[in-house]
Amino acid sequence: MDFYLGLIQIIGVHTLLGLSAYCVLQTGQVSLAQAGFFAIGAYVAGMLTVLAGWPIMPALVVAAIVAGAMACAVGFPALRVRGLMLVVATIAFGEAVRLFFFNFTYQLERGGFRIGPHGGEGFRQIRYFPEHGWSTLEVMLFIWVVVVLVMAAIWWMDRSRAGAVLRAVGEDEVAAQSSGINVTAVKVFAMTVGGVIAGIGGGLFAHYTTHIEHVQFGVVLATFAVAYPILGGLSSVFGTLLAVIFVQGFLIEGLRFMGDWRNLLFGALIVLAMNVRPRGLIDAATIAAIRRIVRGKEHAGA
Amino acid sequence: MLKGIAALAALGTLLAFSVAAGAQERTVKITGFGAKSGVVRVFGVNSEAALRAAAEQINNAGGVTLGDGSKAKITVEFLDDRCNAEEGISVVRRIASTDAFVAVGPTCSNVAESLFGILQKKVGDASDSGLQFPIIADVAAKGGLAKISEWSFRNVPSEFEMYKSLFAWLKTQHPDLKTLWGGVEKDFAHSNATFGVMKAQAEANGLQVLGQSEWLLADTTFSTQVREMKRANPEIVAISAHPFTSCGVLKEMERQGVKPKLLVGLTSSSSIETLQGCAKQAEGIIIPTSFAPVTPEAVKAAEQVAKFGGSADLHSAAAYEVMFILKDVIETQKIMAKPETVAADRAKMREGLAALKETPGLLGKIGRTADREAIKPYLYVHAKDGSWQVLYKPSS
Amino acid sequence: MDLLDVIDGVQSVADGVLFGATYALLGIGFTLIFGVMHKINLAFAAASVGAAYASLLILAGVRAPPALVFVAAAACGGGIGALVYLVGFRFIPLANPLATLMSTVGILLLIDEIIVHTTQGVPLNYPALFSDVIIRAGPFSLRGDLMFVFALGCVCMALLTALLYCTRLGLATRAVSQQPVAAELCGISITNVNVLTFVITGVVGGLAGAMIGAAIGILSPLLSLPLTIKGLIVTVIGGLGSIPGAVIAGLLVGGLENLFQFLRGVSERDLYVMLLLFVFLVFRPRGLSARPPGHA
Repeated sequence: MDFYLGLIQIIGVHTLLGLSAYCVLQTGQVSLAQAGFFAIGAYVAGMLTVLAGWPIMPALVVAAIVAGAMACAVGFPALRVRGLMLVVATIAFGEAVRLFFFNFTYQLERGGFRIGPHGGEGFRQIRYFPEHGWSTLEVMLFIWVVVVLVMAAIWWMDRSRAGAVLRAVGEDEVAAQSSGINVTAVKVFAMTVGGVIAGIGGGLFAHYTTHIEHVQFGVVLATFAVAYPILGGLSSVFGTLLAVIFVQGFLIEGLRFMGDWRNLLFGALIVLAMNVRPRGLIDAATIAAIRRIVRGKEHAGA
Repeated sequence: MLKGIAALAALGTLLAFSVAAGAQERTVKITGFGAKSGVVRVFGVNSEAALRAAAEQINNAGGVTLGDGSKAKITVEFLDDRCNAEEGISVVRRIASTDAFVAVGPTCSNVAESLFGILQKKVGDASDSGLQFPIIADVAAKGGLAKISEWSFRNVPSEFEMYKSLFAWLKTQHPDLKTLWGGVEKDFAHSNATFGVMKAQAEANGLQVLGQSEWLLADTTFSTQVREMKRANPEIVAISAHPFTSCGVLKEMERQGVKPKLLVGLTSSSSIETLQGCAKQAEGIIIPTSFAPVTPEAVKAAEQVAKFGGSADLHSAAAYEVMFILKDVIETQKIMAKPETVAADRAKMREGLAALKETPGLLGKIGRTADREAIKPYLYVHAKDGSWQVLYKPSS
Repeated sequence: MDLLDVIDGVQSVADGVLFGATYALLGIGFTLIFGVMHKINLAFAAASVGAAYASLLILAGVRAPPALVFVAAAACGGGIGALVYLVGFRFIPLANPLATLMSTVGILLLIDEIIVHTTQGVPLNYPALFSDVIIRAGPFSLRGDLMFVFALGCVCMALLTALLYCTRLGLATRAVSQQPVAAELCGISITNVNVLTFVITGVVGGLAGAMIGAAIGILSPLLSLPLTIKGLIVTVIGGLGSIPGAVIAGLLVGGLENLFQFLRGVSERDLYVMLLLFVFLVFRPRGLSARPPGHA
């Protein structure tokens, strides 16, 4: 049972990572910096619970705020570039954050041991959950309460005017600007929201792996972050969730019985998925079809 | 009618025999896990081969005796964690959700850090909800990991001891050599930590450390670093890096004409990788290791591991030894290996591993520390004519 | 800082600039794909390293002089390039840039895993070219093999520019990149042009992979990701679609890398490269050889 609970935990945190990229992708920006904000959230939350003895909730909130602030700061210069250049600029930023933590050491003496982030060796013993007796189930529920709240917030935003504005900017910036939308503000807003979500995800990540180091927050994680919303489709938050379940649940854990072939299938299946469903697993057409079915049932029932 | 009864009787007897025979055919599954993907794939492949080879040896000798007196054959499964901490945790949870009472791994030290961190820290601490499952590591070599939890154990060599002894021996062999220059892979925890050991031991033995060159795991050009080295003109060069960058540095040294009198390398680099990448440039490099085919057991193990598609080096040899350690603990602790005794079996395995003072190793007896680490016998090898040959075997 | 340090510094930068020739070759490939198809092929560096590995495989099977390994790498590169187009671009409608981005990521992962599975992840020795040629100029020494790579890069640049501006294929390529619909109306087969472009860039990539292998002396799966990032950085600094820009940017990045390393050590080197890139993009987003918008 623990195994499934652990897997659901992983799916939860990766969904947060995917959702942080989802927000930014909606405005047409491909941001490979989400892993950087994830890292910031992880280190800040870890330092607060381990070095300052804070409880987990306030630590996560502060982590989210710091990551969001950083995202806001990055958003402004990032606006000046588009397309491939934005991809590269965000890779550069993400790598800069990772390298910062590679060089970052801040240790305190506690009970004869030195604790805290130690440069290349990483930050070990972030054991808030086990030390406070949280069972795997409790951690999983905690993570998923957060995930559900975030998903609900984005779902609500999607259906509100804010969502329409985001999509307008994503579809056609010139048209959006001509309609009087402040494109700058929208893009920075999307970046900031993405940063906040990534910060929360990072904080949770640090606590369920108990050890974080700079290597984990590199380009590979950043690519996964954008892969989830692209694979899942940008029309709905559930697309991202589905993509995370597909990658983490099916590709990584489900295909384990294939042994060595699993890793080869990983890349091959992503290529196949993009060829077969270029707009994502759940795209606008799928949503329309689901709506038709639901409405059809309603009519039939009435 | 009689024919029918005779047929039924025959069937019944057959069934009875098969049940009886089945009762003798018990199996115990030992699951290993490690990296079978990426640049470290070779470690996982070797560990798996070593575990399977050792299991075959044990099974051929009759198998392992369980707590109820029955004999069981060992089967091995190996799971890939892709050197990723989240996946490593997931893999161990997967193993822990079966009837397994122990797991062997991981390959990567960063996975071990996270993994040992989710285990219960102190046995019997009811307020700690960490996982209660014993894990014994065969490859993850970064210093001080086993003390993270009382459920984590390791069978890896102590680099502190090996380099301490190596530099002392080098001093006796080459008393005229006075200066040393270091080279270190900064962004890999293992090589970074080991360099600290190398440097400290060099200084403790009267060598003057003129300085150090640094590079990163995936670096491809070393001209600046080697030039610093050349300027310092050291007599000994100690490189704490894995085969890819070690070869890169050695090739650059050849290019710039830097020829120190002695070369010392990182334990992990005493494998075929280095020879495949730069046998010519690595000629003469001295590395302390906890495995070489110098004893009859070691030679036999090397042959067996090769049979299963791996190669025996200090890492896979540790996995081979671990299988025999597990067999001993299963027998002394009378582990029952039944679905209803899982929790008890895990506790017994942990106690058994913790109580060990000495285990059999391929090069000799291995001591065990209170910190759940191993004190392994070691020797020094050097690269000569495209293979690793024994340079010196310390007697103690 | 005495004279020795200054000499070392200059030498470091020179070494870096020379090694940057390898980045330049990669940048040429990346920028050509982007310039023609306006799509990012993230699998390019991995395909180049894969071509180098494939050339080793061929050489292991066929008895041939070691120099032939470079030709084999170029040929394999072309083949892999065509495959990448087929699998990653051919069947995905043009209006989905994100899908092709992700499909090339999938191809990158696939190529890496194939390399790891065939070689167990172990580094392989790569035949060196002119590795013992060292040109000495006073207190400085320049690596002959890297100068050869630089010369090769210049030749590639000249050939590709000639191809683009002096041949019918080049004309067709430029037509497809500017106005695909109009080009098709003129009877130009988009698929053929795209396949050929990928094959040509694949050949350049294979050559780049072989040169990088020869310059380092060893091939390892560790190379794909850092080379992808370097290639992208070089492409962007050079200006998307500009071949001379990619060459200059490659040399620039190589030199600056070593300069930062010389001044601040290896732990901070990449941090400064990344910050520099970020700042560069903010102030000169169109790159070094920025063609004013609206021009051909």
